Amino acid sequence: MAENGESSGPPRPSRGPAAAQGSAAAPAEPKIIKVTVKTPKEKEEFAVPENSSVQQFKEAISKRFKSQTDQLVLIFAGKILKDQDTLIQHGIHDGLTVHLVIKSQNRPQGQSTQPSNAAGTNATSASTPRSNSTPISTNSNPFGLGSLGGLAGLSSLGLSSTNFSELQSQMQQQLMASPEMMIQIMENPFVQSMLSNPDLMRQLIMANPQMQQLIQRNPEISHLLNNPDIMRQTLEIARNPAMMQEMMRNQDLALSNLESIPGGYNALRRMYTDIQEPMLNAAQEQFGGNPFASVGSSSSSGEGTQPSRTENRDPLPNPWAPPPATQSSATTSTTTSTGSGSGNSSSNATGNTVAAANYVASIFSTPGMQSLLQQITENPQLIQNMLSAPYMRSMMQSLSQNPDLAAQMMLNSPLFTANPQLQEQMRPQLPAFLQQMQNPDTLSAMSNPRAMQALMQIQQGLQTLATEAPGLIPSFTPGVGVGVLGTAIGPVGPVTPLGPIGPIVPFTPIGPIGPIGPTGPAGPPGSTGSGGPTGPTVSSAAPSETTSPTSESGPNQQFIQQMVQALAGANAPQLPNPEVRFQQQLEQLNAMGFLNREANLQALIATGGDINAAIERLLGSQPS
Amino acid sequence: MAATTGSGVKVPQLVEGQKGVGDGTVSWGLEDDEDMTLTRWTGMIIGPPRTIYENRIYSLKIECGPKYPEAPPFVRFVTKINMNGVNSSNGVVDPRAISVLAKWQNSYSIKVVLQELRRLMMSKENMKLPQPPEGQCYSN
Repeated sequence: MAENGESSGPPRPSRGPAAAQGSAAAPAEPKIIKVTVKTPKEKEEFAVPENSSVQQFKEAISKRFKSQTDQLVLIFAGKILKDQDTLIQHGIHDGLTVHLVIKSQNRPQGQSTQPSNAAGTNATSASTPRSNSTPISTNSNPFGLGSLGGLAGLSSLGLSSTNFSELQSQMQQQLMASPEMMIQIMENPFVQSMLSNPDLMRQLIMANPQMQQLIQRNPEISHLLNNPDIMRQTLEIARNPAMMQEMMRNQDLALSNLESIPGGYNALRRMYTDIQEPMLNAAQEQFGGNPFASVGSSSSSGEGTQPSRTENRDPLPNPWAPPPATQSSATTSTTTSTGSGSGNSSSNATGNTVAAANYVASIFSTPGMQSLLQQITENPQLIQNMLSAPYMRSMMQSLSQNPDLAAQMMLNSPLFTANPQLQEQMRPQLPAFLQQMQNPDTLSAMSNPRAMQALMQIQQGLQTLATEAPGLIPSFTPGVGVGVLGTAIGPVGPVTPLGPIGPIVPFTPIGPIGPIGPTGPAGPPGSTGSGGPTGPTVSSAAPSETTSPTSESGPNQQFIQQMVQALAGANAPQLPNPEVRFQQQLEQLNAMGFLNREANLQALIATGGDINAAIERLLGSQPS
Repeated sequence: MAATTGSGVKVPQLVEGQKGVGDGTVSWGLEDDEDMTLTRWTGMIIGPPRTIYENRIYSLKIECGPKYPEAPPFVRFVTKINMNGVNSSNGVVDPRAISVLAKWQNSYSIKVVLQELRRLMMSKENMKLPQPPEGQCYSN
C-alpha cells in the first residue's frame, strides 16, 4: 500500500474520529489515501486523509463533480455511506473504489408515481397550488385577467420577476381547466393554419428536450412524428375539436375493451407508464402532480378529465389527448406482440399525434389571451422574463436556424393570406429578423421600459397619422414598426392589424414577439408569426431604434415610408405572387382534377402551399 | 481457521466488492465486517438509466448459505421495488424466476447475481413498471 508520508499537513479542519477498529492504531498524522469514486458515467480519483469523515469526502467530491453534497450518495461494499461515518469505519483503504450516485433534484421524467393529486380530476383545483391565489376564473374571457391574476396582479403577489415559465405554467393550468377556452383556441384560425403544417409541428415537438427523452424511451413516438400522413391527419383532427372529441371517445371505448382482454389490464398499465405517465409528469411537474399518477387503471381515468389535463407549453403533446392516445399507441406495440386485440393501431397513432398537435394548438391565443397579452405589454419586465426563458431561446434559435419554418409560420398567419404582397416582403426579411430577435441587444432593448415607451410613442404617432392622413398609410400597421421588437405595443387601432405579432407566450413556436394587443378589425387573435409579419421590413430599423430610443424617428420614418410604398397597392403591381409561387402546386392540383383555379389558389394560399391540406380544403368545400 | 465453506469463492468476492469492479453500478460487501463466516452480504444496485429505476439505489441482502457456492445465495431486496421475480410484499427474489439463481453454477458469484438483477431491470417487461415512492423499504 503506498504510504504517503503525509506531513503536508492535513487540511481537514476536523479530524474524524480515528477509527480504532482492528489492531493498528491510526497514526498521529493521517495517511492520505487514494480512493476512486466511480459513477455510472465517470471515475475520479481522490486523495483524502484516511480518517476523513464521509461528509468531508463528499465535500471534496461535490467540488469535482459539481453537485451539492446532499445530492451525493456514496456506496461502498453494498452499503450507503452516511455523512457521520468515516472512511475507515467502512474499511475504505487506499486504492479502493467507492460508488457514487448523484441525485438529480428534479426528476425530468416521471419515475415515481406521485399520488399527490390522485383525486384531483379537475385541474381547476390543481391550478391553485401556485402562489397566485387571486381568484382565478376559468372562464374564457377572464382568462386573460383572472388566470394569471393578470400579470399585474401577479406582480403584486411578488411574482412579477419570477420565472416566467411559472407564469406560463399557470396559464396552462388555466387553459386546461377550461374546455371552452380550449375550444376557442382550437378554433382560432391562426392556430389552425399553424397546425396545418406537419413539418412545423414535428419540429416543434422534437425540439422539446423532454419530448426527446420521451422519444428515447419510446421509439414509437418518433415514428409517429416522422410519419407525415399521421401528422397531417393528427393536425387535421386537432383543428377540429369536435372530431377530436369523437376520437377520444372512441379510444376510450377501445381502451376499456382492451381491459377486458386477458392480460389487457397489464398492457394498459404498461401503456400508461410507457408514455403517458412520463409525458404527464413532464407536462405537469409544474402543475402540482399528475392526477393520474397513482391510477392503475388508467383507462377509466382518461375520460372525463380530458380538458382539464394540463399541458406543457413547450411543444409537448397534450397529455389530455394522449391518455387514450399514447396508451393506445403503446398498446399497439405491446399488444400486437402479446397478441391481444389491436385494431387500434391507426387510431392510436393519430391519437398520439393529435395530442401533439393539440398541445401546440392550445398555445395560441384566444380573445382571453389577447387581454393577457395586453397586460403583458404593460409590463415590460415580463417581456424580458419571457424572453429569457430558456425554451423561448431555443425556439428562437431553432426558428432562426430554420428560416423556412419561420416563413411558413408567418405565412400561415391569416393576415398574410389577405395580403400576399406583404408576405413576399416579409420573406426575405425573415432571416434577418430572426437574427435580430436573438440579438441580445434587441432583447435588452425590448425590456428597456424607456425604449418600449418610445416605441409606443412612435406607434401612437403612426396611429394618429393614420387617422389624420389615411391616404398616406393605407394599410400600414404601426404595430409593425414596434411590433418587430415585439415590444409592448398598445392596440393598433384602425390600421390594418398585422396583428399581435406573436403572442407573448413563449410557447408559441415562433417566439414571443409580444402582443400588439388586441388589434382592430381582422386582427387574428394569435399571430405567432415569428416576430410579426411586418416586422422584418422594419427589423433592420429596429436595432437602431431600440438602441437609441430617443432618435428613432428618423430611420423609422424612412422605413415606414418604404413600407407604405410597398403596401400601397398603387405602386406595386398586383403581384402574381401567389400564382407564381404556387405554380407548381397549382399544376399538381390541376393534374389531380381540381380544375377550379381560383379555388385552388385560395386553398393554396390558405394552407401556405401545402398541397395536401389544400386538397382537403378543396374537398371539404365541395358540395358532394 | 478452516475457511468457512465456500470461502474460496467468498473471499475473492469480498475483495472484488471492495475494489468495485464493473461499471460502478453494483456494489456489495459484507453486512458486518467482522463476520468471519462471510455469509451475510449487503448489495446495492444503482438503477439503470432510461428505465423507471433510474437514479435510484436499491439495497439488497444476500445470504450465502452453507452450500454456497454450490447452491445459489438467498437474495432479498431491502428497498421496495416492483419487478418481475421479486416478491412485492417482502422483497424476496424468487430463485425460480431469476435465471442465474434458477440455473446456478458454482462459478457464479454475488456480483453476477447483482448484475443480472440490474440487467433485468432494463428488460422491456420491467423497465417501465410503476414503482413505489423512492426510499421505502420492506418491513421485515
